[in-house]
Order: sequence, then structure tokens, then C-alpha cells
Amino acid sequence: MQRVRTLLLAFLADWMMWGYLAYATVYLLNAYWYTMYVNWYGTLMLPVWGWPIVVIATFELTVLGHAYGQTPGQALFGLRLLDQNLRPPDLSARSQYLARWHIEPILKLFRRNTKRQSDSSRAQMRLLDDVKDKMPTTKPRKWYKTHRGIMVVALLVATFWVGWLVTEIDLPTFFSDAPRAGYMWKALFTPSFEHLLTPEPVIARENPSMAPIQTTILGGIIESVFMALLATVVGAIIAFPLSFLGARNMMGFSPIGWTIYGFMRAFFNIFRSIESILWAIIFGIWVGFGPFAGSLALMLHTIAALGKLFSEQVESVDPGPLEAIAATGARRWQVVVYGVIPQILPSYLAFTLYRWDINVRMSTVISLMGGGGIGRFLFFYKNSVGFIENNWNQVGAVVWTIVAVVWTLDYISGRVRERIT
Amino acid sequence: MEPLLKIENLTKVYERGDVLALDDISFTVERGEFLVLIGLSGSGKSTLLRCINRLVEPTAGRVIFDGVDVTAAKPRELRQLRSRMAMIFQHFNLVKRSMVLTNVLSGRLGYANPWLSAVKKFSPKDVDLAMANLKRVGIPEQAYKRADELSGGQQQRVGIARALMQTPDLLMADEPVSALDPATSHSVMQYTEQMNQQDGVTVIASLHFLGLARRYGTRILALKDGKIVFEGSPQEIDQAKFREIYGEEAEEVEVR
Repeated sequence: MQRVRTLLLAFLADWMMWGYLAYATVYLLNAYWYTMYVNWYGTLMLPVWGWPIVVIATFELTVLGHAYGQTPGQALFGLRLLDQNLRPPDLSARSQYLARWHIEPILKLFRRNTKRQSDSSRAQMRLLDDVKDKMPTTKPRKWYKTHRGIMVVALLVATFWVGWLVTEIDLPTFFSDAPRAGYMWKALFTPSFEHLLTPEPVIARENPSMAPIQTTILGGIIESVFMALLATVVGAIIAFPLSFLGARNMMGFSPIGWTIYGFMRAFFNIFRSIESILWAIIFGIWVGFGPFAGSLALMLHTIAALGKLFSEQVESVDPGPLEAIAATGARRWQVVVYGVIPQILPSYLAFTLYRWDINVRMSTVISLMGGGGIGRFLFFYKNSVGFIENNWNQVGAVVWTIVAVVWTLDYISGRVRERIT
Repeated sequence: MEPLLKIENLTKVYERGDVLALDDISFTVERGEFLVLIGLSGSGKSTLLRCINRLVEPTAGRVIFDGVDVTAAKPRELRQLRSRMAMIFQHFNLVKRSMVLTNVLSGRLGYANPWLSAVKKFSPKDVDLAMANLKRVGIPEQAYKRADELSGGQQQRVGIARALMQTPDLLMADEPVSALDPATSHSVMQYTEQMNQQDGVTVIASLHFLGLARRYGTRILALKDGKIVFEGSPQEIDQAKFREIYGEEAEEVEVR
């Protein structure tokens, strides 16, 4: 049963690879031949009768690959076409396999309960896990002579080529129009730190409730660092217990265990893949735009990201000590306290520190949605073209302040991580 | 008096890979015995030991420890039974980042106050006992070091101290000296012998070297492919028996 499932999966994987190659081919044909006549963007132009051909052709190519070589899908799922002596079959045996592949389903319709005659030359798809100890060693081919190698190269080339067209890469413009951004570069590299310590008048006027220090760049970065710190600490504290629920080895193999594990994993993955800027909007509407909403957004993202990292750490603990502690008659939670936590604590701390400087960087972008912090200054100066004469120099000041702080935090967390792991 | 441990028709099938690790094994262990398990790697020694305290759940059969059916025990009952059977391991299985003393004290978890143990506190009596046990295995000065700062032999002695904390009736040693050099092996084996003779702890040890088995065992049980192929006194194992247990090409290696 497992063999059939694996075979099916390997076949589907290979078919998808061929399908992808076919898609890339049609895409390239469209891009280079039909651009003058039709709007090809987003749609692929192929005659109606072309699609069945693509489907059948990719299907046949997959079968051919399975019969005459080792496909990437087979390699992925540990399958190999082998003869009775567990050697790679010869050409005729491979052709027989190909023919059987097409004929057998039809024959099965007519002949039921026919016993398979054991033909010594017959090739069979085997699970490598079952036979690898008994397989005679054969010299492997060079990678560029295998189906697998060629296929992988073809996939990479197709991806890169199509990707180049999709992203509309235009290198000539990149170089020829560089001077247009020259004045900005110049301003960014000659930052004006006049509002690093003195309040920015416009922001002060618009936010009368803010203390003067809060309307300086320094105040902004301090707010960002604390937003990030709070989000990180609270997030890590919440992620800590959740990470055990999302770890396979802690949840046992009961249906309840599986359910909680699956639920936690889904939670981590979904909430991690939604950008925190979106959370900032949601929380902004919920609690009002400002540093609080920004912190909540960062925190939620931190819980999901750290939860996933943490639970992977829990899954990779050395099981030996857990076994030893369980053998002394300890309760399950005692095994966790005495066996698991000492093993994971250093990496938890390291990940949390690392997350702190990610959060400082993220908090600048979150300010775009009114999240408060240093980003407020970044976007204020960026949007002040024409209002403030040297606005790009001010942007430069903000950028360099962020760089300095992130660099410092990175250095500190690096040193601490070195010490504790 | 009834035997300390009775194994009845114990069978273990690992579902993954469909391996028959233990095949209908039955034997008894008397109180005060030093039983040595021998056999090739993969013959089922480790599985057998782990089935006794149900670190590995047996597929069929019964384990009766001091008149109580271990295989039918509820979780709470099982914990109480486990606290009376100590175990030491091939790779010591210490929590490497924890202090030696904490590792030793963790042997007391089955007896300690659970509320205090949650914050890693133990009663002064337990701490004194831990220090006494560390002194007994000759490494009292290492108590406050991290476990991974110790040498292999010292780590296994911490393992023995942890086992002593349980004041066990039965000590199971799963290849306790396989990761140690010959000189250290003897010192570790002598501590288990001491437990056996002075404290009256029944010992089941799986060993790889026949020399060690002959020197320390009062009885030998040989496993092959999950079956018992020999049961008897150490003197009874001659060249022919040895070949039968370890295969035709085996050559005996002496450890002194």
C-alpha cells in the first residue's frame, strides 16, 4: 500500500515538473513570438487542440522518464526501477516496463485473478528503503548524464529565464539612468542631524500631546527600540508554552495530540506569513493608530515566528536524557522541566535576541501605518519634498540613526549568543 | 520468596520496518542476582531492558516486578514502579547543560515533593543524599560543574549516583561501559557490583565483552534475533556456545 502511494506521489511530482516545463515553454513562445499581435500578459496563447497534446505529452514523458532513467520524483521519494538482481535493468527490460505500463491496465480489465509469472528479466519499481542493503554497488553515472541531473538543470534554466521576463529586468536603464538618483545619494550620504536632539517643529505642531524629546529623531528611535523590546519579550513569553504544543515529540501520538499539534503548526505558519504591516492596520483600527497598535502587530508576528523556531528546537532535543528522567519515575511535566528546558533555553534566548533586532527594523516599516516610532520621521521627511528644503538630508539622518542602532543591537546580541550557546 | 522480576512471553514488534525485536521471551530474575545480557547489536538487549520499565511499550506478554504487573499498571502506578527500578545508559543520558548535582537529584523526582521540584528545589535531606552519593562514586568535588565538563567515566558515575538516588530494588544497565575505555570500564562496573553486593540491589546489565560478563555476572542470558539462545552460569560459555551466540566468524576479545 505504501509502495503504491509512493509511486503515485513520485509520478505526480514528475508530471508536475514536466507540466511546469511545458508552461515555461509556452510562456517563452508567447513572449518572443506573439507579443506584436496579442496581449499575452498573464494569459498563455495556445490553440484549443494544443492543451490535450500538452497533457498527454507530459504524461508520456513522465512514463518515459520512469522507464528509462531515474526521475527527480523517484529520487525524491526513494524509488528505483530495478531488475530481479536489484541491478539497474537493461534496455529491453526497460522497454518491457514501458510497454507493460500501457498494456497492463487494459489487460486487467479482461483477465482477473491472473497470477503474475515471475520473469527473471522483469524490471520492477522498488522502494529503496526496502532493498538498499541488498543492492549490489554499481558505479553511479556522472550527474549530467542522468535524467535527474538534466531535468534539474532544465527546471533551473526555465525558472530563471521566465523569471527574468516576468520581473521585467531592464539592465540598460538601470545603468544609463543612474544619474537621476544622484542627488538623493548625495543627500543620504551628507545627513543633516539638526533634529537628532532638537524637536522637529512640524511633528511637534501636529502632535501637541507629545513631549519635546518625543519629537526628535532620538526620541523616535528610543520609542522604536522599546516598542520592539516589549513586543519581543511579551511575544517570547507567550511563544514559550505554545512551542511545546507545536512540537511533535511533546504531543504524543494520540488523536488529541495530533490535533493540537496540527492546529499550532497551522497557527504559526499562517500568522507568520501575514506581514506585520497588515496586523498594524488591523490593530490600528482596533485600538487606534499609534505605538500600541504597532507593538501589538510586532508581538503577534513575533509569537508566530518564535513559536515555530522554538518548537523546532524542542523537536531536536536529545531524547536520551528525557528517557533517563522518565525512567526514574518522573511525571511528564517533570521530564519537560528537568530534561527539555535546560536543553532548549540557550537557543531560546539566542532566537529572542535575534528577533529583537528584526523587530527594531520591522518597527520602522510599521510606522508607515501610523505605528509610531522612528518610522514616523522617516516617512515624514520622505513626504516633505518641496516643504522642507533639505528633506533628503534629514532622511539620511534618520537612516543612519537606524543603521547605528541596528548595528549596535546586532553586535550585542551576537556577543551574547556566542557566550550562551 | 518469589522472584523479583518475572518476564512472561514478552514480545515486541516495532511497527516501523515491521521488526520483531523480542520474540516470546520468558525468564525470571531472583533477588540479589547480577544477570548479564549478552548478544550482538540489534539482538534485542536494549529493547528488553526498556520493556521492563515500559520506556518501550511491549506488544504482548507480561512483566511482573515484585508481584505487580508492570504491563497493566496505570500511569501513576507505573511511575511508582519506575522509581524503584533505576537505569543507567550507554551514553549516560545526562542533561548536559545542567549541573551535576541537578542531574543526580533528578533521580529523586519519583519521590520528591512535586511542587518544590517544579522550581528545582529539593528537600535538604535529598540534597545531602545527593552529595553523599556523589562522594560514594568518588566525584564530590564535581557537584557544581556542568555535566558536559566531565569525562566519560565521570559522567557514567554521575549516572550511577542518579540511580543510587532512587534507592532502587533493581538496577538496569544498558551497555554501561560501551562508550568507555577498559580501565574506566572496570571502575564503573565495580560501582555496580558494589550496589549489588552491599545494597542488595538486583542488577541486569547488558555487556558487550564476555570478559566483563564472566568477571561480574552471576548468571548470563544470551539473546539472538530476539530469542534466548543461552541461559546459565558464566563458566558454561565455551568456544562452541560463543560461536552460537555471536556467529561463526566471531573471535573473542579480552578485556582485563
